[in-house]
Amino acid sequence: MSILSLHNVSKSFGKTEIIRGVNLDIQAGERHAIIGPNGAGKSTLFHLISGKYQLSSGRITFRDQEIQNRPPYEIARLGLARSFQVTNIFPRLSVFENVRCGMLWQQGLGYSFRHLLGRQTELNARAIHLLEEINLADRADFPAGELAYAQQRALELGVAIASGADLIMLDEPVAGMSLSEAEAAVSLIRKITKGKTLVMVEHDMNIVFDIADRISVLVYGEIIASDSPQAVRANPKVQEAYLGEAALAAAGDNDA
Amino acid sequence: MLEVFVFSTLNGLVTGLLLFMLASGLTLIFSMMGVLNFAHASFYMLGAYFAYSISLKLGFWAGLLVAPILVGTFGALVERYALRRVHAHGHVAELVFTFGLAFLIEEAVQFFWGADTKNYQSPDLLDFPLFTLFGQEFSAYRGFMITISVGIFLALYYVLTRSRIGIIIQAAITHPHTVASLGHNVPLIFMAVFGVGTGLAGVAGVIAGPVLTTFPGMAVVLGSIVFVIVVIGGLGSLGGAFVASLMIGLLQSYAIASNLGMPDLLNWLGLEFSRDHPLNDLWTLTLPQIAPVLPFLLLVLVLIFRPTGLAGKREE
Amino acid sequence: MGKFAAWVGYLIVLLGLPQLFDSVLAITIFNQMAIAIVFALSYNMLLGQGGMLSFGHAVYFGLGGFMAVHALIMIEFETVYFSITLIPLVGGLIGLIAAVFVGSFSTHKAGTVFAMISLGIGELVAASSLIFVSFFGGEAGVSADRTFGPPFFGVEFFQDVEIYYLSAGWVFVSTVFMYLFTQTPAGRMANAVRDNPERAEFIGYSARRVRFISFCTSGFFAGVAGGLFALNYEFITEENLNAVTSGRVLLMAYIGGLGYFIGPIIGAVVLTLMNSLLSNYTELWMLYLGMMFVLTVLFLPRGFAGFIMMHQTAWLRGKLSSLFLPYLITGTPAIMFGGSILAAIEMLHHEGEPFGFLFLTLDSGNTLHWLALAAVGAASYFACRRSLGQLNVAWEEANRMDNPTEGGPG
Ligand SMILES: Nc1ncnc2c1ncn2[C@@H]1O[C@H](COP(=O)(O)OP(=O)(O)OP(=O)(O)O)[C@@H](O)[C@H]1O
Ligand SMILES: [Mg+2]
Repeated sequence: MSILSLHNVSKSFGKTEIIRGVNLDIQAGERHAIIGPNGAGKSTLFHLISGKYQLSSGRITFRDQEIQNRPPYEIARLGLARSFQVTNIFPRLSVFENVRCGMLWQQGLGYSFRHLLGRQTELNARAIHLLEEINLADRADFPAGELAYAQQRALELGVAIASGADLIMLDEPVAGMSLSEAEAAVSLIRKITKGKTLVMVEHDMNIVFDIADRISVLVYGEIIASDSPQAVRANPKVQEAYLGEAALAAAGDNDA
Repeated sequence: MLEVFVFSTLNGLVTGLLLFMLASGLTLIFSMMGVLNFAHASFYMLGAYFAYSISLKLGFWAGLLVAPILVGTFGALVERYALRRVHAHGHVAELVFTFGLAFLIEEAVQFFWGADTKNYQSPDLLDFPLFTLFGQEFSAYRGFMITISVGIFLALYYVLTRSRIGIIIQAAITHPHTVASLGHNVPLIFMAVFGVGTGLAGVAGVIAGPVLTTFPGMAVVLGSIVFVIVVIGGLGSLGGAFVASLMIGLLQSYAIASNLGMPDLLNWLGLEFSRDHPLNDLWTLTLPQIAPVLPFLLLVLVLIFRPTGLAGKREE
Repeated sequence: MGKFAAWVGYLIVLLGLPQLFDSVLAITIFNQMAIAIVFALSYNMLLGQGGMLSFGHAVYFGLGGFMAVHALIMIEFETVYFSITLIPLVGGLIGLIAAVFVGSFSTHKAGTVFAMISLGIGELVAASSLIFVSFFGGEAGVSADRTFGPPFFGVEFFQDVEIYYLSAGWVFVSTVFMYLFTQTPAGRMANAVRDNPERAEFIGYSARRVRFISFCTSGFFAGVAGGLFALNYEFITEENLNAVTSGRVLLMAYIGGLGYFIGPIIGAVVLTLMNSLLSNYTELWMLYLGMMFVLTVLFLPRGFAGFIMMHQTAWLRGKLSSLFLPYLITGTPAIMFGGSILAAIEMLHHEGEPFGFLFLTLDSGNTLHWLALAAVGAASYFACRRSLGQLNVAWEEANRMDNPTEGGPG
């Protein structure tokens, strides 16, 4: 059963069409990677799904509800969480507050001004637990803006997954991390997405082939293949359009 | 009727052009630093006071020449030693700083010149009626104000669009890093633009002082109106500021001159209310009464329906 | 339970002040402080906690105050019958209603757009208040008498000190509620939206709605402050809802320190004291206020509270006392330098007539006085400059981190 589907989704900025009629089906429970060269439109696709950008045309359904062009907060409330390629956290709030804020809505606290956060023992314990998982427990009381880069990336991931949403979309979650940090992050991602659906943009092919059940290849705003890792690897169109390039890039550096 | 209209138009034009002299500097500074300078009208006031003091000793024309330079220098110093420092703490701190500066300048003006109105006079040379229309005189000084304002607008336009330095300034506003890497001293450019912008406000003060009276509250009177113009015109847009200045100038001038009001409207609608009606104040409202409010009404409406202003593209 | 102790201390101070100082002037000042504290705290809810810079916060204070005065009038003429102790609530409700209306369109954006709308609304309301004379009373304002309502446990509020105790109660309750608000999901999300409105939307919150809630709450408490004003002065004028009052509350909150809950309380106390005490000593106090404001923005961007909190690290390490001497060494010449500047300003002001300055008598006609002043000023300036080095060293020493990645207080 597909949890998220895109039907003929297009997006233009001015005259340039960045996303050109994308059709995509994400199955509930799968780990789906989206790969493609720089500037292919992967982040734009994420922005369209999560409500940051308006579609130029097309339809997006999430759990059988149409979500295109709805505000991000409504989409998030339906259980779709995302992270950002460029770190996007609450810099003056403490690390702990960052993840706890990520949990508030799904906890049913909403805009309440009748609940005191200090009294939410279970919520606070969960926030601490999450911090432990992303290895930031000892930084809990720090202003998030003062963290080192890799720690901010970890927090970015933490805020995204805090809500416990069913569909988690991660935009290059390990970009810029050292090898060991990336490994830790990947095993964390694998752990927290157990029983959930993951859509992930990633440039590092090792990680992609390691984690993904299915891979879609986005080139110049079009999905040229969407299949199992083996099939994608074998797909001549993909090899021509993308993998060769990526292999070159990966040989140089796994840049963002 | 026609006579009222012509004179309101002329007066509105004078006010509008004067407002533009302030608004142009403010807009330039905004495009540069991304922050509205609350103290901008205070520099205008300083211009009037400096020119007043100079005119006592050396006459009006010396004041017209020297006062704007003094004001501009002071503005440049403020940018160099204060604003640049506050800039590091973000936009709110900058806005709050200029707010405090406006407050301080007003107090300082009262300290040095006293709280009373100064008898700052227009020069004798221009003390004759330029022309007489429908039996009313239009003073040469007002004509002079129009000439100066239009001259400044043209000069500014020319400098910004045609000259090399103008092109560098425009580039520095949008791409400071690129311009810096081309070897230009961007902080210096910013300081200069701030100096010129405040200097322009100084010019406005010098020539407005004799007409709009020189007193410590003169900054407050114009300050928020200029803000309104810059916002309505679209933050950072010189053309928008020009249009908005004239619009506000004319709007106010017409509103003051017309004696229309709610009574006329009610008459026209055939309605009548007794004087004891609880909303009597509303039923007797006239346009001249609400003239000072109109710019702010316009500001709020524009911000609600078109937050980028009439000509602006950029948000925030 | 340090927090609980702090609250008890706050209550004791509030209730104990008139016991310590019971002069008429003192009670007047305390009443002003009470009003200012609630008003400044409500302002910080917008700017410090919600990131909304308002130039028109006096609107909610003033409208609340006007309605409160009208409520007093209604009590007097027995149109309504309730105890005047509830008047601040009337002010609060009006502030809330006004904020709901304005907030419905102004909270769409923060930043410059919000600031400009607040400015426009402020000017609009202030100007309209002069037009609608029957409600606002024109330039003269409206006045009432607070002593007509039913007595409150026998108190009829003839005296200012009785009003003070009533105000103190309202201040305490308001402070508690405003503090508790910061601890709720709505309050915490206000901080989050202030920091990053975009991300807040992706974790389920409408930034606009979050701002709206803060805005309304803030309007409510500003109205409560307006109600306290009405009770204390028994009259209110257009000045209480115009830009001057809006500017003053911004000043208080900023000087006190936006980033801290107690910042605005400090600011309200300091500014009220300056306002009432300084104005007795010098006509130039507004000038000094302006100077202090500009210097604070330049050198203490986190306000007085931020300055105090800067010492938290040293205090936690037990090294605060090591800073005492260095502060003395730098502070003495700094104060002397500031003093000579003030003396010079006062001398310019009192042209040709001798006047008392601290324990001295200065005369601007006396060249010797000018020379002495210049000497003291220059000497203290250089002494201060030279001593900055040792202060820096001492500061570094007191704050040196055992753990290199640990930062200062938030
Ligand atoms: N707001 C925008 N306005 C105009 N063009 C945009 C906008 N956002 C993205 N683009 C353009 O759309 C294209 C795709 O950008 P996008 O960030 O989606 O690529 P990407 O696949 O995520 O690349 P990367 O791997 O570098 O992250 C780029 O050419 C970019 O310049
Ligand atoms: Mg991308």
